[in-house]
Amino acid sequence: MKRISYFILLLVAIASCEETVLLDIDQTPVRIVIDGLVTNESKQHAVKVSRTVDFYQQGLTPRVEDAVVSVSDNEGNVFNYVHNPNNHPDSVGFYLSEFPFAGEVGRIYTLNVQADGQTYTALDSMFRVTSVDSLEITINEDERMDPEDEDRFYEILYYAEEPQDTKDFYLFQFFRNGELENEEGEQIYFADDRALGDRIDALPIPVFYALGDTAVVETFSLTRNGFLFYNDLFNNINNDGGMFSPPPANPRTNLTNGALGFFQVSAINRLTLVIEE
Amino acid sequence: MRIKSLFFSLLLLFSMAEVVLAQGNVTLNGYVKDIENGEELIGVTVYVNELKTGTITNVYGFYSLTLPAGSYNITFSYIGYQTTVKTVDLTANQSLNLELPPEVVRMDEVVINEKPLDANVTEVKMSRNELNVKQIKKLPALFGEPDIIKTIQLLPGVISAGEGTSSFFVRGGSADQNLILIDEAPIYDPSHLFGLFSVFNADVIKDAELYKGGIPSRFGGRLSSILDVRTKDGNNKKLQGSAGIGLLASRVSLEGPIKKDKSSFIVSARRSYVDLFLRAANQDNLVHFYDLNAKINWRANNKNRFFVAAYSGRDVLDFDDLFGFDWGNTTFTFRWNHLFNDRLFSNTSLIASRFDYGLDSEDEVQGFEWTSNLEEVSLKEDITYFINPRNELDFGYHVTWRRFSPGRIAPTVEGSIFQETELERTFALDHALYVGNQQRVNDRLSLKYGVRLSIFQNVGKSDLIIYEDPQDNINIVRTDTISFGAFENIKTYVNLEPRLSARYLLNPSSSLKFSYNRMVQNTHLISSGTVPVPFNTWQPSSPYLEPQIADQIAFGYFRNFKENQYEFSAEVYYKDMDNITDFADNADIFFNQDLPTEFRQGTSESYGLEMMLEKKEGAFTGFASYTLSRTERTVPGVNLSETFLANYDRRHSFNVVATYEHNDKWSFGSNFTYSSGRPITIPAGRYEFGENYNADLITVRNGFKLPAYHRLDLSATLTPRKNANRNWKTSWVFSVYNAYSRKNAFSLFTETVVPEDSEGNPDLGNVSNRARMIYLFPILPSVTYNVKF
Repeated sequence: MKRISYFILLLVAIASCEETVLLDIDQTPVRIVIDGLVTNESKQHAVKVSRTVDFYQQGLTPRVEDAVVSVSDNEGNVFNYVHNPNNHPDSVGFYLSEFPFAGEVGRIYTLNVQADGQTYTALDSMFRVTSVDSLEITINEDERMDPEDEDRFYEILYYAEEPQDTKDFYLFQFFRNGELENEEGEQIYFADDRALGDRIDALPIPVFYALGDTAVVETFSLTRNGFLFYNDLFNNINNDGGMFSPPPANPRTNLTNGALGFFQVSAINRLTLVIEE
Repeated sequence: MRIKSLFFSLLLLFSMAEVVLAQGNVTLNGYVKDIENGEELIGVTVYVNELKTGTITNVYGFYSLTLPAGSYNITFSYIGYQTTVKTVDLTANQSLNLELPPEVVRMDEVVINEKPLDANVTEVKMSRNELNVKQIKKLPALFGEPDIIKTIQLLPGVISAGEGTSSFFVRGGSADQNLILIDEAPIYDPSHLFGLFSVFNADVIKDAELYKGGIPSRFGGRLSSILDVRTKDGNNKKLQGSAGIGLLASRVSLEGPIKKDKSSFIVSARRSYVDLFLRAANQDNLVHFYDLNAKINWRANNKNRFFVAAYSGRDVLDFDDLFGFDWGNTTFTFRWNHLFNDRLFSNTSLIASRFDYGLDSEDEVQGFEWTSNLEEVSLKEDITYFINPRNELDFGYHVTWRRFSPGRIAPTVEGSIFQETELERTFALDHALYVGNQQRVNDRLSLKYGVRLSIFQNVGKSDLIIYEDPQDNINIVRTDTISFGAFENIKTYVNLEPRLSARYLLNPSSSLKFSYNRMVQNTHLISSGTVPVPFNTWQPSSPYLEPQIADQIAFGYFRNFKENQYEFSAEVYYKDMDNITDFADNADIFFNQDLPTEFRQGTSESYGLEMMLEKKEGAFTGFASYTLSRTERTVPGVNLSETFLANYDRRHSFNVVATYEHNDKWSFGSNFTYSSGRPITIPAGRYEFGENYNADLITVRNGFKLPAYHRLDLSATLTPRKNANRNWKTSWVFSVYNAYSRKNAFSLFTETVVPEDSEGNPDLGNVSNRARMIYLFPILPSVTYNVKF
């Protein structure tokens, strides 16, 4: 329901034209970007440290390889992170926890990153995640008549409970054959529970599948901070320049000292299924 | 009853004053109307030649002059009408109702001899523009729909957000700081189709006036301007109709006497029909709008007149039969004009207005209906007391009750994931007492001064939530909830609004003017974009939202040339605004149960120079306007609390509007508009997050300026000569919008492009940003066919 401005843009689109223009944008001081996730799954959790680039600079953004990264919880456990332990060329700038660990619901986690002589910290809590009762496969008749991708007209229906006694925030990730479906980095599926009833029944997920595809549906719990971050990130990525939508802004973050990004702590619910008749 | 007792004690006061003041004087009063259709004329100059004094008719076409007994020549003059001189022998109080014949269209410039006064120079009011609806109909218009708001956007001191919008910004004020009135009832969203058109159907509009400064004390409630639109009363002499067929919409209206010279009616309807084409083209996204206006006008006798006016308009959008969306305004006005005696004119009005919108989805699982509305009912008593030719006193009392229902979500289907949820409703009682006097001190100096007392109450029934820190929108901690019963006072704000205007006549053709006004606004639009959208909501002043206050001073030089054919004015203004309503960065203003935590109030400062040259009579008419201005905002918690340029800041703005009557068959019109680019926020950099998100790094708000906006429109009106012998008269209006097809930026946004490598996979190593400019209309011809019968 937050995407009302899309409908206006749709209307505007009927009569409008678009073209690329070159802007004269000044250089801007570089800032640190931190992207960390701790879940309740036992694994080597990752934190990525990178930097911002100027508006027109192409390619991947620069990574920070010499940061000191650790995560601690409110029970006194400290997990040290190591930069790219497997020396994988694609993992430069990624720090993995030295040993696998699983976060626990109810605990508060603190991230500590030291980079360029500065210290950045962030705090997030692990909330419980709703149990997804089941997923159901159906055929979307409209899509079958006119599929965007050939053979991809199977839809997954989502059934879950929405606890009414707590304020809950959700992030969803949908995978098709191992690939995250997010419209090439423009879509984020997140929700809070305002105006939601206690049952979510037969809610179709926004991805179509073909027979034989493997589907993974992940539901993450978020804190309110996490919800706000994804909400703001979505608006930041999809801003119309402030005509109808609010002026673009940097997402609200739990990181201190001017770092961009977010440190997210989530309980995860993951369901996998293969599309069959 | 509070109103009544106040009213009668004032009445008593003035009837006593009358005895003192009126000895030896007699009063001449009456209504001035159009001879062809009986419409009252507003602002007619009534001039006593012998005494070199006079007055103008008020908004109901009424005038009153108190003079020593004697014989006088009274001159009635009004733009577009023949000047008429009447000789009266005043021995006792007398009524003189007059019907002015319209001026015949002159092919050549004619010098007018009998033109004793010219309002531009002599009236006390400044920072005010009247709109000539007849001229607007001959101007080029987008899709051939004449629109008064599009012409308002060309006036000095007024700025538009760009083409295709019905918002306007007056002297550094935001779009919600304009009080838009139709027959005295407020319109909360004047847009159709998100602003392509306004709600005003030019066929029913009689008169429109925009006040930007020196605002009379009878108006209040908004900081920056009053747009006072009045509809026609209906022809009380003969049945008459008109219809217009345009590319996008058609109009039909009918007016006539119910009882000749006594009572009349007018009904008018307009509807767009893009949806019919879309439906024919098997398009599932449908959209249409309509407007209905109706008015009945009954003159019981010379002392009592009654009007009932109603307006209703709505936009309806339908996406794929799945998602619907509609919004609209409905207003109702009842007015009673009463003459207590020759010099005491009263207007009693009962006014109601409603704005609402709804969104609904028919989806089996996500079916919901979202509704929101704002309703108000007002009672107004306005009195004019024509004390003597030197003093004209206005006073009155207004009370308004408002209910804000910002949102309710309800499931529409069984098994919907939504449940019924409603945001807290809020209520307000808004009282205003005002008094103002227009005083002619001597032949050169005239003053208009007054004061308005605004007493605003945020009342129950509602629950007030108390926050630990109302400015913290991240960790919201509710500490308490206080329940208030119906009409129980939650918060009261009392403000005194002084108003002053002065005019000093340098010579018969030039004057200096000065004005100061304080305005207070207690109804706040909850919108964070540049242009308001119909699903924005409004909120009253409350413990979390203080009244917005503006102080404005203006100086002006007014000069007429060539026997008043050319009117020139230059004004400078400075406006200082407090508690302007803004919102935190990333504010969530849609269906937020903790909306108060998003409010941020700050200050704004605006100053500028405005010049206007206008020619109102002759074959060639029109105006040119130039505005130089600057508007800044400083809001704690927004843009790191640093001062930033307002979205509607424009350094230069230049407009020309002209019509030319070539002969009785052809007339031509044109608009040219130029303005400096709109400030916008452009990202300074890019960074990565998550799997493949590229976010924008934002540094300064409104730190970048769009390219300048300019556009030329042309029109030609053909009135076939054979009309003269027919009962029905036709005309064609041909328009060309954006004649040289300038690509004007409507908005600019940035995006990240991820190219594909040779195997079709995203090539993240070559990710880049680009800026995309959206522009709306290239050259756009249109034609409208009009019939009058």
